[in-house]
Amino acid sequence: MKKITNPFPPALAAAFLGVSFLVSAPLPAQEDPFSTVITPAFSPITWERLVNADDEPENWLMYSGTLDSQRYSLLDQINVDNVDQLEMKWAYQIPVIDRAETVPLVVDGIMFITEAPSNVVAVDALTGRQYWRYDHDMPDDLRICCGRNNRGVAILGETLFMSTLDAHLVAIDARTGNLLWDKEVAPHDSGYSKTAAPLIVKDKVVTGIAGGEFGIRGFIDAYDPETGELEWRTYVIPGPGEFGNDTWSGDSWKTGGAATWITGSYDEELNQIYWGTGNPGPDWNGDVRLGDNLYSDSVVALDGDTGEIEWHFQFTPHDVHDYDSIQIPILADIEFEGRERKVMMWANRNGFYYTLDRTDGEFLIGKPYAAQTWAQGLDPITGRPIRVPGMAPTYEGIMVSPPIVGATNWYSPGYSQDTGLFYVTSFDGEQEFFKRDEDYEEGERFTGGGGRYTQPMDAYHSSIRAINPGTAEIEWEFPIMPRSSAGITTTAGGIVFTGSADGYFFALDAQSGEELWNISLGRRVHAAPMTFAVDGHQYVTIASGNVVYTFGLRN
Amino acid sequence: MTTATITALRKLPGLAKTAVLYGAFVLYFSPATELLSPASHAEDGGTLYNTAVDIRMGNRYFERQCSRCHGFDAKGNDETGAPDLTGTLRRASSDAGIFNIIREGIPGTAMLPVAADVPDPTVWQLVAYINSLRYDPASVDLAGNAGSGADLFGGKGECSSCHMVNGQGGRLGPDLSRVGENQTPEDLLQSMLDPDAAVAPRWWTIQVAGRDGEVREGFRMNEDSFSLRIMDADTNLWSFQKRDIESYERSEQSTMPGYGQALSDGELDDLVAYLFSLRREVLPQ
Repeated sequence: MKKITNPFPPALAAAFLGVSFLVSAPLPAQEDPFSTVITPAFSPITWERLVNADDEPENWLMYSGTLDSQRYSLLDQINVDNVDQLEMKWAYQIPVIDRAETVPLVVDGIMFITEAPSNVVAVDALTGRQYWRYDHDMPDDLRICCGRNNRGVAILGETLFMSTLDAHLVAIDARTGNLLWDKEVAPHDSGYSKTAAPLIVKDKVVTGIAGGEFGIRGFIDAYDPETGELEWRTYVIPGPGEFGNDTWSGDSWKTGGAATWITGSYDEELNQIYWGTGNPGPDWNGDVRLGDNLYSDSVVALDGDTGEIEWHFQFTPHDVHDYDSIQIPILADIEFEGRERKVMMWANRNGFYYTLDRTDGEFLIGKPYAAQTWAQGLDPITGRPIRVPGMAPTYEGIMVSPPIVGATNWYSPGYSQDTGLFYVTSFDGEQEFFKRDEDYEEGERFTGGGGRYTQPMDAYHSSIRAINPGTAEIEWEFPIMPRSSAGITTTAGGIVFTGSADGYFFALDAQSGEELWNISLGRRVHAAPMTFAVDGHQYVTIASGNVVYTFGLRN
Repeated sequence: MTTATITALRKLPGLAKTAVLYGAFVLYFSPATELLSPASHAEDGGTLYNTAVDIRMGNRYFERQCSRCHGFDAKGNDETGAPDLTGTLRRASSDAGIFNIIREGIPGTAMLPVAADVPDPTVWQLVAYINSLRYDPASVDLAGNAGSGADLFGGKGECSSCHMVNGQGGRLGPDLSRVGENQTPEDLLQSMLDPDAAVAPRWWTIQVAGRDGEVREGFRMNEDSFSLRIMDADTNLWSFQKRDIESYERSEQSTMPGYGQALSDGELDDLVAYLFSLRREVLPQ
C-alpha cells in the first residue's frame, strides 16, 4: 500500500527511523514533492517505547496514555488560545449500535478503535478510513451485567491485545487484523466477562476480569504475549490459609466478586503494578459475607514480575453499596507537606478522594469530593471510613449518597503536570438501596438487591471537579448535567478535555475551570478523549454515541 | 372499584393505593393452579403461569436479572436506554410478544436474551410479573361519568385552555390525548389535587435574565450542560447559550393550580373518569 505525500511527513519519518522527539510546537514541513513514503510507517512498539511514551506524544500508546495513567499529553499545539478554532476532521461510525466506551490508540499514524461487542478496527488516523477490521466470534449466551462494552486495546511489538465479552484475551496482528491467538481467561457461562484494555508490563500482558454481579472470584492475570500462556494469576480474594481469607465469613470468599474490570497502572522504578478491585458480592446484601471482604473495593500493588501482592489499601471495607474501586490509579511525584512523595491519586466511587503513598500504600490525606451520607469521615491515620450507622440497604429501601453508579465510576480521571491538579467527573446523586436474599447459582446474577432513583435525573447535580492532591480540597468545579460518564484528558496546552451525558465534547481551562469551547455531538459521551499528532498537526478524538470523532485546528 | 374506593384513595399514602390496585388485577387474572410441563411455544404457555405466586416469582427474577437496566421499580432508565415497563409496551402487545423478547432479546440493542437454560416457566412468570405492573382498564369501575368529565374539561375546569386532547386545546400543559394509558385513576386524581407532587422536568419553569436586561420565563423544554430552551406563556420558543445569559433560575413547581377547592368530589371523579378514558383504543363498554 503506497501513497504519495507532500509535504514529507516528519512525524512518520522520525518514527520510521526510530527517532523519538517532542512535538511541542508546529513542526516545519519539509518541501520535497517527489518523496514517496510507505504508510503506515508503523514500527514495532518496544517496552522501552511504552515506558517512555511521553517522549513521543504524537502517539497514544496505551489506554491511559502513559504507564502512570495521568492522561496528560505534552502536545500543546491546541491550547487555551486557539482551542475555539477546533473543527471536525472526520467521523467513524461504528456499525454495531451500542454505546462506545473506546479509547483508541494511535501508533505512527494508525488508529486502533474497539467496538461493541468485542471488535477492533484499524483506520488511518488522518482520515478515519479503514485498513482492516477484526470481528470476534461470540457465543450467544453471554453473561454481562451492564452492556456490551469494550474500552480499548494494548499494543506490544506488532501485536494488539484485546479483552472480549466472552472472557477471552485475543492477540491480533496490528498490520493485518489476523487473529494470532485466542485464550479463554475464564468460563463465560459462569458469569465471567472482559471489557477493559490490558496493560503491558515489560514482557507480559496484564489483564483483569469482570463479573462482579455474578459471584465470580476476581483475579489479575499476566500472559505471555507470544503464546498466550498464563504466566501468573493473583486472586484478589485470598484463598484458605492466605492472609485476608478470614475477612470473609464461611465460604463466601468463593463467590465474593472483587472483579478487576478496568486497566491498572505501573511504576517502573518501584516495579509495582497498581490495580483497582470491584465490589464484594452479593453487592447489596452483606449478611452472607461478614467481615472486611479483602481485597474487594481496594487498590492492590503487585510485584511487576511475579504478581505477588506487596501492599493493599481498602477504600470501603465490607461494602454494601456497590462502591467498586475500579478507578484508574493516577501516579505522580508531588510535594506533600513539604516533602517529595511518590503518590497515587484516587477519587473513589464511595465519594471520597484519597492521596496515598504508592511505595507502601500509606494513607496521606482524604476528603469527600461529592455528596455522600454513608460515612462520617475517614480515620486520619488509616484512612478507613467511619460509617454512619444504619445506612446499609434494607428490604424496604433506604436513601443513601452516592447512588449505585457512584460519585464517580470507571471513567478515567486526569492529572495535569502544569497545574498539579487532579480532575474527576463527579455526581452528587442519591438512591434508595434495597436488600434481597439470594442464593448463589453459577452463571446467574448474584447481587442481593438493587436501587431506585426517586427523582428525575435532571434534579441531580454533576460537576467536573479539580482537586488539589496535597490538600484534597476542590479548587474549582464546572457544572454539567445530568450526569457524565466521560473520562478526562489534560494537555500541555493548558486544557482539560472531557464530555457529558447530554452529548457535548468540551474544553475547559485546566487552571481556572473556565469553559473554552464546546460542540454538541448529539449523543452521550461514554468514553475518554485522547490526543495525538500526525504530520506535525495535533488532533483530539472522542467517541460519542456510536461515532468516533476527530477534531483538529482549522487549517 | 367503587366510588367509595376512589374517593377514599385521596387520603391513602402511595403504597396503600398500589395495594388496592394490586387487588384489582389479581381479580382480573384467573388464577391457574394446574402445573404443566414447560411450555415450548410462546403462543400456548401464557395463561398457565399467572397466579399470585407466579407473579411473585417473576418479580424476584426481575429484581435479580432485569432491574440493573430496567430499574428496581421497572420504570426504566434513561441512561441505559431501558424502557419503562409499567405502562404500554412499545415492542409487545401480547403475552407471546413479551415472552419472545425475553427469550430472544432485541437484536441491535442492549436487550440480551435470557440464558438458554432458563426454563420457559420462569420466562412466563416474568411475563406475568410484567403484566402485573399494569391492569386491564376495563376492570376498573369508576364512580365518575366520563361524559360529564369531558364537559368539565372544556368548561368549568378550563383544563383545555392549557391541555390538548386530540389536537384541540392549549399548549401550556402536557398533551393528555393518551393520558389514560400510563396513569392510574389515583395518579390522575393526585395530579389534580396536588400538581406539585411530581412535575416532569419538561414542565419545570425557567427564568432567564439576558445580558440585554430582558427577563424571559417559560417551560423548561430542554436544558443541557451548555444551553437551554424554553417556551414562554405566549408559546414563543427561545434557545439560549448559558454562557450568553446573565443568570437563570429554575423552578420545579407546577404552573397548574390545585383543584381540590375549585371542584367538588363528584366533579373530580367525573374528570378522572374522562381522563382515564383517554387512550388510543376505546374501552369496551
